[in-house]
Amino acid sequence: MDTFEYKRPGTVREALRLIATHPDAEIIAGGTDLVTLLRDRVRTPARLVDINGLPLDGLRWSRDGVRIGALCRNAVDDPRLAAAYPVLVRALRSGASPQIRNRATFGGNLLQGVRCPYFRLPEFACGRREPGTGCAAIEGDGRLLGIFGTSAACIAVHPSDCAVALLALDATVVVEGARGTRRIPVGDLHRLPGDTPHVEHALRDGELVVAVEVPASPFAARSTYVKFRERASYAFALASAAVAVHSERGVVRDARVCLGGVAPKPWRAHTAESALRGRRLDAAAIEAAAEAATAGAAPRPDNAYKVELVRGVVRRALTELLVK
Amino acid sequence: MAIGRPLSRVEARDKVTGAARYTADTRLPGMVYAALMSSAVSAGRVRAIDTARAEAAPGVLAVITHLNRPQWHSTPAALRYVETRFPLADEHIHHHGQYLAVVVAGTREQAAHAAGLVAVDYETRPAVPTLDAALPDAHQPVWRFEPEFPTLLALGDPEARLAAADVRLDLEYRTPYNSHAPMEPNATLAHWDGGSLTVHETSQQVHLDRPVIAGALGLPPDRVRVVSTLVGGAFGNKTAVWAHTLLAAVAARQVGRPVQLVVTRKQVFTCHGHQPPIIQRLRVGANRDGTLQAITHHTVNGTPVLFDRPEAAISPTGTVYALRSVGVRVEVAGMHMPAPATMRTPGDGPGMFAVGSALDEMAYALELDPIELRRRNHLAVHPLLGRPWSGKQLLECYDVGAERFGWERRAPRPRMMRDGADWVGFGMSSAQRLEHHAAARAAVEIRDDGSAEVRTAAPEIGTGNLTTLTQIAADGTGIAPSQVDIRSGDTTLPESAPTSGSRTTGSTGTAVHLAALRARQAAARLAVADPRSPLHGLPAERVGAARGRLYDVDVPRRGETYRDLLRRNGRRSIVEQGFHDPAGADPRFAYATFGAHFTEVRIDDTLRRVRVTRHVGVFAVGRVLNPKTARNQAQGGIIYALGGALMEDLATDPVTGRFIAPALTDYHVPVNADVGDIDVSFVEEPDYNAHPLGAKGLGEVVAVGVHASIANAVYHAIGIRVRDLPITPDKLLRP
Repeated sequence: MDTFEYKRPGTVREALRLIATHPDAEIIAGGTDLVTLLRDRVRTPARLVDINGLPLDGLRWSRDGVRIGALCRNAVDDPRLAAAYPVLVRALRSGASPQIRNRATFGGNLLQGVRCPYFRLPEFACGRREPGTGCAAIEGDGRLLGIFGTSAACIAVHPSDCAVALLALDATVVVEGARGTRRIPVGDLHRLPGDTPHVEHALRDGELVVAVEVPASPFAARSTYVKFRERASYAFALASAAVAVHSERGVVRDARVCLGGVAPKPWRAHTAESALRGRRLDAAAIEAAAEAATAGAAPRPDNAYKVELVRGVVRRALTELLVK
Repeated sequence: MAIGRPLSRVEARDKVTGAARYTADTRLPGMVYAALMSSAVSAGRVRAIDTARAEAAPGVLAVITHLNRPQWHSTPAALRYVETRFPLADEHIHHHGQYLAVVVAGTREQAAHAAGLVAVDYETRPAVPTLDAALPDAHQPVWRFEPEFPTLLALGDPEARLAAADVRLDLEYRTPYNSHAPMEPNATLAHWDGGSLTVHETSQQVHLDRPVIAGALGLPPDRVRVVSTLVGGAFGNKTAVWAHTLLAAVAARQVGRPVQLVVTRKQVFTCHGHQPPIIQRLRVGANRDGTLQAITHHTVNGTPVLFDRPEAAISPTGTVYALRSVGVRVEVAGMHMPAPATMRTPGDGPGMFAVGSALDEMAYALELDPIELRRRNHLAVHPLLGRPWSGKQLLECYDVGAERFGWERRAPRPRMMRDGADWVGFGMSSAQRLEHHAAARAAVEIRDDGSAEVRTAAPEIGTGNLTTLTQIAADGTGIAPSQVDIRSGDTTLPESAPTSGSRTTGSTGTAVHLAALRARQAAARLAVADPRSPLHGLPAERVGAARGRLYDVDVPRRGETYRDLLRRNGRRSIVEQGFHDPAGADPRFAYATFGAHFTEVRIDDTLRRVRVTRHVGVFAVGRVLNPKTARNQAQGGIIYALGGALMEDLATDPVTGRFIAPALTDYHVPVNADVGDIDVSFVEEPDYNAHPLGAKGLGEVVAVGVHASIANAVYHAIGIRVRDLPITPDKLLRP
C-alpha cells in the first residue's frame, strides 16, 4: 500500500471540493473493494476522501418510487423494499457475506472494480488499470470472464449483483458535481471497454454518486434474481439474471431481462425481452427468452460454458415468476 | 478413564474468547516489522535492483537483497532445506513470487509500503507455465534425499495380465494445483539474545525446524529455540522452514531488534507450498467374475525446474485391493513453480481419487455394485510386505456405512434417481492410509499439589492433540484430566513426533503414555518404600492409581493421594520421560488406517452445481481417544476434501504460470452452506499390535477417498464422469 492523504468531509459540498481539487483523489465509503485494491497497489490515490460522514444514507419513499442514499448499506432490511422490488433485495442478499453487506454501500457497489485476475494482480498487463498496456487476459485464463460486450482491449466482468437488479428496474444514479446534479440511467453508468478500457464509468471528474432512484413501475413487484456460482454462497456470479415481467390479461406487456457476471457492465438482454412481449408467460416463451438472452454472445473456448449458464439463469428466473 | 470420553478441547475457551495467542499475536519490546518483496516474473534474472527509495522511506531500518545479504552457512542439501537454494541466493529467478528483498521498518505498514518501493529491472525469460507444457520434460525423478516410495515397479507381469483380462479400462485423471489455504498466514518473530536466537514460528515441527535454522545461520542447534504454540491451520504448509523464517532471523540480527514477519495472503498462496498438478493414467483389467487382474498407474506431476519432487499418488495402487499384478511409474516434469509441500493427504489424496474412480468405472463396466467389487478384491495381507494387516476392519466399515447411508436404495445405473428438479446420485469409495511413525519423547510430571503436567514439543495445529495427550496422561497417572496441564510447541520441551503425517496419536501419544506410566510407577515405588505410607511394603505392581490417589488394587480403601505422598517426602514433584520407538510395532503385521465414504449428491438439471447433501464416513483407526475431537477432525477432513473435489483450483495464467487466484475470495473453499449432513462413525477395535494404547492416526485417512466418492456420486446422478478435478459447473453442462 502507498501513502495517501486522508480526508473526512462533513458535507457534500466539502467532499466535492476535496475531490475536485485533487486529480488523484479516490472516494472511500464501505471500502470493501477499495481497500483490497489499495493494498495490492491496483489503485494508488494520493488523496482518499472518506464520505462515511455525509448524510447520504437511508431510503426516501415517494409516489414515484424510492430514493436510496449512496451510503445506504447493502444489508438494508426494509420490508417495503422487499415487497416493492423483490429483485433488488434478492440481488443484495446474494452478494458477498453478511459482514461485507453490513459495510458495503450502494454507491460503492455500483462503482466497484471489475473482477478479472489480470486487473487485480499488478504483475500482469491491464489497460483498464494502466492505459495502453494491453490485456494479459486475452492470452490468459478467461474462464470467469465476459462473453458479452468485451473488446480486444478488455474481457473483464462487472461483479455487482445489485447493479443488475437496478438495471432491470430502470433505476437512475444521481450524481452531484461542481456544475450541479445529473441523473444517469444505471444502464449508462458503466462504459463498455472498447479501446479505452480505463474509462470505466460515465462520472465526470469531481462528481460524486449521492443516490440511486428506483422508479415505481408496473413490473417491479413481479421480479426476481437468480445467481449461479461455484459454491453455495460468498462467490461472484458465473452468471446471474434479474428479470421483471408486467402482464395484463395473461399477456406480457413489458419485461426486463438483465444479466450479471457475463459482461464488463450489467447486461441488458433486449432480445430476450422482445421474445417475451406480447406472449403468454409459459414454458415455450421462457424457452424462447432463454435462448434469445444469448444473442450476441461472443464466448471464448474457455468460457463458452457461460452461454449455457445464461440460458439456465434466465430460464430459472422466469420460471420462478411463473409460479408466483 | 479419561480416554474414550468426549472431552472438549482444553484450549477451546481461549479460542472462542479470543484469548488464545498465535504466533503473530506475540509481541516483544522493541519489536519491528519485516515485509517481503516478491518477483513479478516467473523466470529470468534481476538485472538491477534499486533499493534507494525503499531505504529512504519513513521508518525503514534495513533493506536486504541478494547483493547485501549475510552469508548463509552449510548447504540446502546438507540441511534438507525445502528448496535447493537459500533465500536471496543470487540474481536468478526460478518462479513467480520468488522473494527478492526483505524490508525492515518500524511498523508493518511502513515495511509493506517500502517493500513496494523496491524497483527491479528484470531480464525475463519464457516460463514453463503448465504441466501440459512441461510434459516433454517428463522424466524419472532423481531423489534429492533417500527415496520415499518406489517410482518404478512391476509385479506379476501387468502387461500380460491386462492383455488377458476380460475387461480393460484406460483412464486419465487430473488434479490441479491445490493450496493448503490455512486461515493463519505463515509468520515468524525472530529475537536474538547475544549469540542465541529464539524464533516464534507457525510450525508443525519445532524440532525439525531447529537444525535447519541453526545450520543456515551457522549456529549450534542448542543456540536456537523454536516456539510454536497454537497454529491456525496448517495441512502440511507448516512442515518446512520457508524463506521468510530465515530472512526474519537475519533481519533481526542486522537491526538488533526483534523482527516480526507475517507473510501476506498472496504470499501464503505462492511461496509456502501447494500440491502440484498431477496427471494420472490408470489401466485396469478385471475378469467377468470381478477379480482384478492388473492395474498400471503412471503419474506425472509438476516439479520446480531446479529439483525433482515426486508426488506419491501411486501410494494406494498396490496396497488397497487384491491384484494379480501391478505396475507403477512415477515421473516429474519441470515447471517454473514455487516449491510444493506435503499436503493433506500426501499421495493418497490424489491417488485415491484416481484409484477410487477407476474402481467405480470398472464396477459399471462389470455391472457390479461398487461395494461388491471391492469386497471381491478385499486384501487381508499387505501384498508387498507379505504381512497381514493389523486392525483392518474395512469390511465392517462397508457394512456400517452402507447401513447408515441407505445404500440399498441406490439405483443400479446412472441417471435413474430424480427428485423434482434434482438429479440424485450415490457414490462410495474406500479409504486407506499407511500408519506412519516417528521417534517421540515426552515428560510427565506429578506435582505435590496433586496435579500433573505433560511436556512434549508437539504444536497444536487445530486437531485437538493438546486434549488427547492430556487424556492419555490423565489415565496413565490416574489424575483427573482437569488437573493435568500440558506444555507444548517449544524446542525446550522433549522432542515429539512432528504434528504431521497422522503421527501424534500413535507416536507422541505413546511417548506420553509411557512417561505417565513411569511417573506413576515411580510414585508407587516411593510409596511402598515409605514406612509412613499406607502402601508400605506392597509390591509396586499391586499399586493402582485413580482420581489422584494411589491405592492397593486388592484393597482399594488402602491408599493415599499423590499430594500426601509427595509432601510427606518433601518432594516437589516426580518427573519421568517416555520414548516412542518407531520400530516398536509388532513386526509380524502391516499397519494402516481404513475407512469407507458414502456420498449423496444432488444436481439441479438446469443449473448444474454439485451439492453434497449427505456424506457418511466410517473409519477403522483403532481405539478412539476422544470421540468429540475425532468426529470433529473427521468432519473437517471430509469438508477439506470436498473442497478439493468440487472447487479448489489454484488457477494459473497459461503464459506465465503465475497463480491468478491467490486470495480466499478467488480460491474457493467450502462455505458452511456447501456442507450437507456429515455422519461420522468408527468401527472401534483397539490395535495393540500397533501401539500400546491401541490408537492409530486419524487426521489423514478421513480425507482419503472423498474425492472419488463424490465424483462417483456425480456420475451416478447424471452419467457424466469427471476425471479432472475440481468438478465445477462447466464440466457438467447439458449435452
